[in-house]
Amino acid sequence: MAVAGVSLETGHGVFGLLGPNGAGKTTLLRAMATVIAPTSGTLRLLDRDPGQYGERREIRRRLGYLPQNLGYYPSFTVTEFVEYFALLKDMPAAQVPGAVAVALERVDLNNKAKAKLRTLSGGMLRRVGIAQAIVNSPELLLLDEPTAGLDPEQRVHFRGLLRDLGQQATVVVSTHLVEDVGAACTEVALMDQGRIVFHGTPDELTACGVGTAAAGDAPLERGYSAMLARARS
Amino acid sequence: MTAATGVPAAARPLRAAAVDGLTSGRLLRLELRRNAMLWMAPVAVALFWFHTYRQCLAQPPMWNLRAMTMQHGVLLDFVPPVIGAATWMGWRDSRRRMTELVAAAAKPRWAAQLVTWAATTIWAMVAYLACVGVLYAVIARNATWGGPLWWPAAVGAAGLPAMSAVGFAAGSFFPSRFTTPLVTVGAFFALGYSSQGAHSASSPWQISPQLAFPADIGPDPGMATFYHYLPDLSIAQVMLLVGVAIAALSVLGLSADSGGRWLRRCAAVLTVAGLTAAVTAVDLAGTGRTDPHGMVIIPALHDAANDRPIRYQPVCSHTAVPVCLNPAYAVYLPAVTAALAPVLSEVAGLPGEPARISQAAPIYAREPGKGIAISAGNPAPGGSPAVSGNRQVSLILPNQLPGQQGTSSAQFAAEVLSIAPEIVDMVIGAPVGQDGVPGGSAAQQAVAAALVKDAGLQLVGPVPRGQVIRMPGNAVPGPAQGTPVYAAALRFAALSATARHAWLVAHLAALRAGQISLALLP
Repeated sequence: MAVAGVSLETGHGVFGLLGPNGAGKTTLLRAMATVIAPTSGTLRLLDRDPGQYGERREIRRRLGYLPQNLGYYPSFTVTEFVEYFALLKDMPAAQVPGAVAVALERVDLNNKAKAKLRTLSGGMLRRVGIAQAIVNSPELLLLDEPTAGLDPEQRVHFRGLLRDLGQQATVVVSTHLVEDVGAACTEVALMDQGRIVFHGTPDELTACGVGTAAAGDAPLERGYSAMLARARS
Repeated sequence: MTAATGVPAAARPLRAAAVDGLTSGRLLRLELRRNAMLWMAPVAVALFWFHTYRQCLAQPPMWNLRAMTMQHGVLLDFVPPVIGAATWMGWRDSRRRMTELVAAAAKPRWAAQLVTWAATTIWAMVAYLACVGVLYAVIARNATWGGPLWWPAAVGAAGLPAMSAVGFAAGSFFPSRFTTPLVTVGAFFALGYSSQGAHSASSPWQISPQLAFPADIGPDPGMATFYHYLPDLSIAQVMLLVGVAIAALSVLGLSADSGGRWLRRCAAVLTVAGLTAAVTAVDLAGTGRTDPHGMVIIPALHDAANDRPIRYQPVCSHTAVPVCLNPAYAVYLPAVTAALAPVLSEVAGLPGEPARISQAAPIYAREPGKGIAISAGNPAPGGSPAVSGNRQVSLILPNQLPGQQGTSSAQFAAEVLSIAPEIVDMVIGAPVGQDGVPGGSAAQQAVAAALVKDAGLQLVGPVPRGQVIRMPGNAVPGPAQGTPVYAAALRFAALSATARHAWLVAHLAALRAGQISLALLP
């Protein structure tokens, strides 16, 4: 079982999901994206039950999702790709062009709007993925490793975007990069072996590492390592 | 697991896709712009031109032959590109690792798939309509009479969504790099061989969308010329193809991630309906039979109103004995007139000469153990001046016209001339006997044989009637060699045309009355 015993509740803000490889972060995100159904327990998203088709569809209309392994249609242009997902999210057709333009601007891709996806670099494709996730101004945004492949400048820009999005929506970010969490998240959960072993603010996670010999170059990394060691002991 | 995002759903004015047709329209526009079929359409057009278009134009310029030939070939041309593109589009999301992202979208998976399929099919249909449009325009320019046969075109048009749906479903259910080539090759051969199993109009294999005519007759110029094109078989074929398309597309909606319970129930009902339609169509095709006018009748689908003959004004030659043909055969009037000229010149001016040679509708009849026999029906009324039925000779033209399947003009002329014994018989009064040899007195037989021989036909011995429908080449039954009748015929034939004609003018009444013996023949 990839995820078991997880109990989480969160509201507006940026929620960081940290954990080592195989901790179950991606599985939890997929369940929250309604791609897979939990085998037990309850999952409520945006005050709705995703187990019911009608409610699941309502959730999906308000959902933005960036999977870890994002594919793409090489022959689509950037605009077409984002527009395609805006339409799949049931956005009213009249609002789509404007929403696409805004999304591309937020990820700094408006100058590549007409470029075919096959011509873009890995980092740019990641930004296209983020654009399609935010095009419908989601109330729940799920991002799995969103900064993988982004250059430092883009990463800084993206953290600003996350903070901005978090003011009106629930943003859940799964990442390996603790500095992203420290810079953008208002809440953080640490997962290990399918369980939540820590749930608090980044400052509280940092505090866990104070006075310990935990490995890490930054205070938050030391808190992460200390918490993980404590969970495994 | 217990997880919750506590943000209550805001009262955001989001409309359901069901009421937003624009959303699907824009999706379709996107899919149309980036569809693989867009690139395969020129391939389909090229295959059509190389195969079906050239094959159609090699046929005589008649709507029926060319339209039926078109139906026979067009789907075979379109199968590889259409089914290939549809299969390719069917597994696009798996190939591009987009399944998860698409699965998390609000629009039901089935609806999104249908849009992709629709885009593929629309491009295929555009290519098909362009091909058929050009072909029909060329036929309209060449044909002398009649109008387009729409049912063969409709069968082709119904075939494209069916092929596209089968390919799309295969690609969707079996996403693999081998799916596209396997399904394409498999469908090509399946369609190609589907018509091979049909040996008669009552075979269920007659449902093959390649067949526009009874399998045991083949495309014949006489079909749908004198009588309306019977759509019975076409209706069954369209029913099959629509059923296959609906079933293949509905199966996509059965999977758990395709949509809600209501949608999946709809898909299940449609799948059953599609399969039922397809099976019923095959069953109906098995009840077919060849009708007297060369088409397939399916009793459950037959409309008796289609059995009425088509009214037409014959086109006639301006010769002493007019030769009148159905206007669809107008281009062959000079050839037919020239072919009959030798025999008509032999009887010209004689009492009892035919007032007109009129083309008759062929009547097709299945003879047990002998295949299909073709005989002459009643010639259509018309032509000027009006003549009584007993002074009119019915002519059925050969079912192979010049240029059709390698038939030469000489072969055609020889076959047309095989009517000569009947014309001579009208004048000499020597009805054809049971052995295929002209009857009457010995002198009548000899004169008839001589006139037929001088018209350019070759006399062979007596042939029991019924064994040969149409003698090959320019051979006709005649008196046996070495008999006195044969010798007298040779002697009479050796006379000059003027002497022969003068003798006939003087002695025809006595000859018809049986008062002339062989010895009295010059």
